[in-house]
Amino acid sequence: MKLDSVTLAILGNKLAAVSEEMCLTLQRTGRTLYVKETADFACALAGLDGRFFAYPRSIGVSGFVGLECLPTIAAVGPLEPGDVILTNDPYRSEGLSTHLPDLHMIEPYFHEGRIVAYGWCFVHCSDVGGRVPSSISPVNTEIFQEGLRIPPVKLMRRGEMVPEVRLFLDANSRTPEANMGDIRAMLAALAAGRRRLEQTIGQHGAEAVCVAATDLMSYAAQKARAVLRRVPDGTYRFSDYLDDDAATQLPVRIALAATFADGTVHLDFTGTDPQVATAMNIPSRGRPHAWLTLRVLALVNTLDPTTPLNAGLLEPVRITAPEGSLVNPQEPAATGVRHAAAIRVNDVLNGAFGLALPQVMPAASSGTVIPVVMAEPDGRGGRRVQVIEPMIGGTGARSGRDGVDGRDSGISNLANNPVETVEAELGVEIISYALRPDSGGAGRWRGGCGMELTFRALTDDTNVLGRGMERLLFRPWGSNGGRPGAPGELIVNRGLSGERRLGKIDVLTINAGDTVSFLTPGAGGWGDPAERDTGAVLHDVRNGFVSAEAAVRDYGVVIHGGTVDEAETRLRRATMQPAGGHGPERERWDSVFTPELMDRLNARLVALPGSARQRRRRDILAQALCALPDGFPRSGADDDALRSARDRLAAAAAAL
Amino acid sequence: MTSSQGQGARIGIDVGGTFTDFVLADPQGGGLVYYKEPSTPDEPSRALIEGLKSLLGKAGLTAADVSLLMHGTTIGLNAIIQRRGATIALVVSKGFRDILEIARSRMPSSFDFHSSKEEPLVPRCAIVEIDARLSAAGEVTHAPDEAEIARVAAELKALGADAAALVLINGYARPEVEIALAEKLSAGAGGLAITSAAAIWPEIREYERTLVACLNAYIQPLMQRYFAGLRQGLARDGVEAPILVTASNGGSLSLASAIDRPVETILSGPASGVMAAARLAEAAGVSAIISFDMGGTSSDIAVAHAGSAELATRTDIGGLPLVLPVVDVSAIGAGGGSIVWVDGHGVLKVGPRSAGAMPGPVSYGRGGKEPAVTDCYLALGYIDPGGFLGGRMRLDKGAAEQALAAVAERIGLAGPDGAARAAEGALAVTTAGMATELYKTLAARGLDPAGFALVPFGGAGPTHANLLAEEVGIGSVVIPPAAGTFCALGAVAADLRRDFVRSLRRPLDAASAALLQTVFAELAAEGTAWLDHEGEQATGRRIERGVDMRYAGQAYELRVRLNEDCRTQDAVAEAFHREHERIYGFRDGDSPVELGTARLAMVGETPKLTQPRIPAGSGQPQANGRRPLFRRGAWLDAAVYGRAAFGAGDTVSGPAIIEQEDTTTILLPGWSARADEAGNLHLERQPS
Repeated sequence: MKLDSVTLAILGNKLAAVSEEMCLTLQRTGRTLYVKETADFACALAGLDGRFFAYPRSIGVSGFVGLECLPTIAAVGPLEPGDVILTNDPYRSEGLSTHLPDLHMIEPYFHEGRIVAYGWCFVHCSDVGGRVPSSISPVNTEIFQEGLRIPPVKLMRRGEMVPEVRLFLDANSRTPEANMGDIRAMLAALAAGRRRLEQTIGQHGAEAVCVAATDLMSYAAQKARAVLRRVPDGTYRFSDYLDDDAATQLPVRIALAATFADGTVHLDFTGTDPQVATAMNIPSRGRPHAWLTLRVLALVNTLDPTTPLNAGLLEPVRITAPEGSLVNPQEPAATGVRHAAAIRVNDVLNGAFGLALPQVMPAASSGTVIPVVMAEPDGRGGRRVQVIEPMIGGTGARSGRDGVDGRDSGISNLANNPVETVEAELGVEIISYALRPDSGGAGRWRGGCGMELTFRALTDDTNVLGRGMERLLFRPWGSNGGRPGAPGELIVNRGLSGERRLGKIDVLTINAGDTVSFLTPGAGGWGDPAERDTGAVLHDVRNGFVSAEAAVRDYGVVIHGGTVDEAETRLRRATMQPAGGHGPERERWDSVFTPELMDRLNARLVALPGSARQRRRRDILAQALCALPDGFPRSGADDDALRSARDRLAAAAAAL
Repeated sequence: MTSSQGQGARIGIDVGGTFTDFVLADPQGGGLVYYKEPSTPDEPSRALIEGLKSLLGKAGLTAADVSLLMHGTTIGLNAIIQRRGATIALVVSKGFRDILEIARSRMPSSFDFHSSKEEPLVPRCAIVEIDARLSAAGEVTHAPDEAEIARVAAELKALGADAAALVLINGYARPEVEIALAEKLSAGAGGLAITSAAAIWPEIREYERTLVACLNAYIQPLMQRYFAGLRQGLARDGVEAPILVTASNGGSLSLASAIDRPVETILSGPASGVMAAARLAEAAGVSAIISFDMGGTSSDIAVAHAGSAELATRTDIGGLPLVLPVVDVSAIGAGGGSIVWVDGHGVLKVGPRSAGAMPGPVSYGRGGKEPAVTDCYLALGYIDPGGFLGGRMRLDKGAAEQALAAVAERIGLAGPDGAARAAEGALAVTTAGMATELYKTLAARGLDPAGFALVPFGGAGPTHANLLAEEVGIGSVVIPPAAGTFCALGAVAADLRRDFVRSLRRPLDAASAALLQTVFAELAAEGTAWLDHEGEQATGRRIERGVDMRYAGQAYELRVRLNEDCRTQDAVAEAFHREHERIYGFRDGDSPVELGTARLAMVGETPKLTQPRIPAGSGQPQANGRRPLFRRGAWLDAAVYGRAAFGAGDTVSGPAIIEQEDTTTILLPGWSARADEAGNLHLERQPS
């Protein structure tokens, strides 16, 4: 680091504050719900290398600190003062944008005729056209269905909006005015950043500010390396599954080998499934992309909260993401719901790091975010559409601490909707919005409880959408002897006549009087439940997080008359058997689709040409599955069937 | 002179963590009398009663001369933050037992996977569901029968709580339903005090409303005991004057109201200070101000225009959101006790840890080893080691310098003046941190600091104000006479004030505009009835009206003030369009407008406080001496003045040091300070 200690401290503070002030300006002047309530936006300052040296800590989306602006800047050619670049195309921006509703803007900041830094911001806008309103749908198969692709272009030329670009934008959105409102807010944020950076240069000089930019990155890199050095060197392997890819019933595998060596980490995703024919692909371009490295940033920040947030944090991180895989898809793969896969990528990093740092890393969180949407007839031929609640679960337990019930900030930290505002705007009665007892994975430290939402429609022909439902099959795993959380469920008319237990839904149609219950998964437990403090179990029972039956079954704790029966508890606990942390479904699945076999299969599948990858994978998995009974792996199979399926899979992999 | 219609003296009292401050306004004798008594946190009323006696002695008055006590306290706030309130229960509509556990479902940090959620005010086992709720339209869709009420009352009784709160889904739509139920439950539970959420704050959003009720129940028994003890103690000393309690909205309430709704008082301390700054600045002809309160552990700012402070309708109380209107105070960083340290990578840091009062900064000589911001003031010559707290506490300058020299060494500033250079660096880091927070706070409201004057108070406010003004580009600082007892001063001048709300949530049309007027009339009647019962302190009445509005489909609402003559649909819409244009830079005349929450504040004006005039000066005050002051790496020769030496119109140029018993003002080179007739010091950047 070249600057003196005082100047670096001052400029570090000021430059980070510039990015936060940009965010506050954007939030204040923004137009849509995404900006105002869910804060799905961010602003930052990038250096001449296109990487962020100042990034906001307390506002906006924190995970995008690793994005790179340079390919977008290079794509438009020479820049002049007042120019602003706009793009949303994951492929042409080389991963700056990761799905089309995210509008990204870059403005060059000039001082005495030369560029000293770039202002950047993005907003998740309401709609950029495409097949469905709001542009994203899990079942889109190509990016062409997902809306208008905006390659890097100049939206502003010397301070004036380019009319032709505006015409294209307006003509390709269902909500052109809302979009333009947010675009103006972004321009206001970029201008605020420009003014404050000019002022800072006036106080400290351009030279000091530019040196600070590189110093701050090396400072963050030093701190990140210091944290990563605390991880024992070695290679740690972990894999996890999405229940399915939204179009077929086949699970989607994400595999990782994380190698720590002297303060660096290499994340190797070889063994991950080929890109899917739905919209869950993560367009990382094979770099240490934000969506693949979020858990590394969280690890560094958790162990050293004073680390400044900038791209230097990712300097010790290397990535191998095979081209053509889910985590580095080839054009024109659809990417609209890449966050669904990112949630599971987060789990995989968490699991691998947990093998290295069992005392630090938590068990799996509930791993699902479901914006439960209701679309009811408005009586005029249209439909009123609104999110009832964004349903999440809890966080995983860790050594020394239970998971958090009914909260999960793993990938997004959205606020819920007050029940009263929902009832004021939709014809719906919310019957309960509550924690889900007995859903948190048992353990010495208990996993966080999932949640349940039950509502009654008051209008016939009402549609309910539950996109993002996950972990209905493969449970959130426990760690170090902890048990998995309960899987998610969807029940129509629960406890009433005509009760139906459904799996995943895309769109469900119900009539007035019908009730729908969304039950989200609980998070994983940590450590052997037989070692849980009996007082903690009693506390959970008294407060209703755990039922008395589950206390006996899962913890071996017997409660009589409001107190723990210590003698009987000792007896029960002596007979308790350790159990796996992933749950029976995953264990059954792995007994056929073993990690070694899947690694081998996927390495070969990814090497196939684009269109063949998905088809061959479907065929091979279908061949193996047809040797197994329906309902596998939810229900078991006999040894012959398991062997036969495994043999078929091995043969198919070998034949590739 | 104070102009008061009251015969006797009014006394403002602020009970803080370290000191209990008093300000006496005496219409007979004239002038203001200040007094500070060390607080007695174990039993706060003791310091109050003792200090009051000393104050009256100082002023040469007796208990019988007192006509009014204006009391601010942080007892409620501290109980909430330290979770030391009452054991309370909560009754809630069936299906919503987890209302406090779920809250708004956010985690305090999205990046720290060891972060946890806030501790709920009521454990799940003390939350009872009742089969009762309303629809959004206000119809009772589930009415509990007598058996259900008896069951819930019995459960409440069995819980053995000190107090309880009640909230029904959509209860805000018809508060009387919930109020009646609360009465029945209370009767069935042996007279248990039950706060009805809809009665106390009938605004849509069940979680936030529940919290208002729970917070109220949580601190009520404590506050009730405190006020009862205080009354008795004062009566023993013959003080029978009525007591008003200051409120978080910058106003005050009668003792009876404060016991009923203590939740309205929890942020009264900071609110009073801001109100004092706003009023004094306005009286000095300064309209737009940023108040700057720098104390031991942190610094706070607030924005005020024309004598009234900006209010917020969402604040954070120890991790819990509060939706009552409160004076909008934002923390911007370090205080005098914040610690200066060097991290493992050689970068200089200030705070967030604070040395507090114990052990305090190194120079206090109470065992503190790490230098604090106050030690930096000492090493730079800003404050006199013999003049702290009027000379009652001698500071150890040598120890401060030694500790700072160690910091200097770690950041490569060893050598001559190393301690001073490290101290100056630490203050630069501190000031830059404050400046960035100030920018952000103002940016969130679309304001530019350059148009404001800074009004500092608190022990270190005047010491640091010029540094902060210089950093953020503010050209004017106004320092009132008694910057150290400011919250008590604000208390003595507080109006009576109570806020009322009603959720409307409907499109703005001719009918709803008329409904709005009806609602305002109802709220005004409620307000009038309230004020009639608050005693006879108010000399005038004022009503403030406002309504939250948005364009249809917008995700957020704007609080819009409505003048009394703003009654028709068109006038209300225009008020909204104009405010929208001011904040967002555009209006959308084609889009339908929606009404949200109607707001009304009933204000009972109390006599205005006027500061005593100081005599005219000779143009320049007499200096007490000179002291070296370290600035930009070199020692300057600065004149030292006593604050009392300033006559009206006297002006000095920086560098200069102006000392008074409770604080020291630093005047930088390139700035001048002028005293006005009321004794305020006006610091101004000299044209270069």
